[in-house]
Amino acid sequence: MRQRSLAGGLGMDQRRLLLNAMSYGLLILAIVIVSLPILWMLTVSVRPNLEVMKIPPSWIPAHFTLASYGKILTNPRYIVVFLNTIFISLFVTFLSLFLGALAAYALARFNFMGQRVVLMFLIITQMFPLILLCIPYFRVFVMLGLYDTRTSLIIVYLTFTLPFCILMLRSYFMNISPAMEEAAMVDGCTRMGAIFRILVPVSYPAFIGAGLYAFLLAWNEFLFAMVLVEAWENRVLTMAIYSLMAEFVTDWSGMMAFSMLASLPLVVAFILLQKFMVQGMTAGALTS
Amino acid sequence: MISFRQRYRQELLALSFLWPSLVILVALLVYPLAEVIRLSFYDSNLMTETWAGLANYRRLSGDPLFWQAFWQTVLFTFFSVAFHLVIGLALALLLNMRINSLFQSLARGMLIVPWLLAPTVAGMIWVLMLAPFGVINGMLNGLGLIDASTTISWLGDPSTALGSVTAMNVWRAFPFFMVMLLAGLQAVPRELYEAAEIDGASLYRQFWHITLPQLRGVITTIVLLDSIWTFRAFDPVFVMTGGGPAHASEVLPTVIYFDGFQKLDFGYASAQAVVMFVVLFVVSAFYMRRSMSTAG
Repeated sequence: MRQRSLAGGLGMDQRRLLLNAMSYGLLILAIVIVSLPILWMLTVSVRPNLEVMKIPPSWIPAHFTLASYGKILTNPRYIVVFLNTIFISLFVTFLSLFLGALAAYALARFNFMGQRVVLMFLIITQMFPLILLCIPYFRVFVMLGLYDTRTSLIIVYLTFTLPFCILMLRSYFMNISPAMEEAAMVDGCTRMGAIFRILVPVSYPAFIGAGLYAFLLAWNEFLFAMVLVEAWENRVLTMAIYSLMAEFVTDWSGMMAFSMLASLPLVVAFILLQKFMVQGMTAGALTS
Repeated sequence: MISFRQRYRQELLALSFLWPSLVILVALLVYPLAEVIRLSFYDSNLMTETWAGLANYRRLSGDPLFWQAFWQTVLFTFFSVAFHLVIGLALALLLNMRINSLFQSLARGMLIVPWLLAPTVAGMIWVLMLAPFGVINGMLNGLGLIDASTTISWLGDPSTALGSVTAMNVWRAFPFFMVMLLAGLQAVPRELYEAAEIDGASLYRQFWHITLPQLRGVITTIVLLDSIWTFRAFDPVFVMTGGGPAHASEVLPTVIYFDGFQKLDFGYASAQAVVMFVVLFVVSAFYMRRSMSTAG
């Protein structure tokens, strides 16, 4: 018996080795396949547009040029769109984190009537079809004179960033003992002081994770941006890319350069803060 | 007798922190929902509103385009979610093997990138790749799967349009499943596998009898969430095909958009949105039961 299990163990080790080698191989294959569209975006963005429709298509540009990037980065029309997107996404993120922290504090620290109803409401908000909300938003914003303003986008983006931030911060706060805040309050610190000087600093991973996710959602949103904004100077990146396609169907090189520039901030932020983002995704969607 | 303030101390305190968020969310979600339900009983454009009773709903039940879009949305959702799950699970299992931890985080990072792209950007890349002159035809050609003289217009052909959009959506959103399932796998106690190995259970049996049952909770949650998100997704179809050709890739959000914002027929668009909301609500009810039992 002993002998057999020993031999079985050895066989197991060899099989493990083989399996590991296979995992490396398959993962590298998966990375290559998954990256193909991104590599295509990159390689089209650095070739002259004439070369894009050449048949058969080649992965290596015959002429390397950064002209498409230059065209975008020197055009004030495009710069405005980048600035709008940065401004709106940052504003929405900070607003969601601030309001979300207060609401999450209430849900994590107090036991009150209606708590379950509030939680249920927050979870349900993530199920709303955004197209349904578009109809009344459009009508109300036209009435209020907020149609075609950046403010309107900041307001409506809260519909999806705020519930998410509340739920994620709540689940993080619940794992932190209230003892420190209580001690600070005994020492004469106000409740607000205890939240912002003690609870918020120790929960920084949750703030980075939720903040990044909120930023990503706001940055990538398209439907509201299309329905609620009209003038070019109020447009955001997603809408600009879409209208570029409608206007210049043929400038694929410029379009891909624009797409690269629009995606770069998120990819860089993600590489730097991967750990928090993954934590955020995991905690946020499970809400437990 | 205790005073009102003392008796409801917790409620008052909680409310003092909750009210800004609650006011915003009720104004942004509850009021619009009520407004859409009201509008669905009216014949309405931007200028006028006349009571229409159930006319919008009657029109909808006999509208072939609505039902075509409905079933296409179901297909789009089903295949997106199914492929997200299969690909996400396969990659999560691979990432969870005993591989170098630096390689693991590198691979995870590179595999997540599609999920960071805006659906608009991802859609645009795929429009370019799927074009008749595009690299997909080029690669199929290189592999000898299609011959050089045929160029398939993936998005221009009614039989391939919806499938092409689904493929893009599978590519863009599988990382969410991968990350969630990897987190789930890392939470499975190692002892379970060690015990199974001592008992001589094959890897295949370990997968069916340990891994899958342990992941059941995560899988149910993300499948429900993804179904809801995909069912309501507007961007991929709108950007890639606009619902065409000949409505072959039309989904509910795009028909509602065209009725509401192109034809300015808000009453009919609202009625369709209400039906869509009811469907989503039923699916959400399952999700709610799950997350409330864990969030409690």
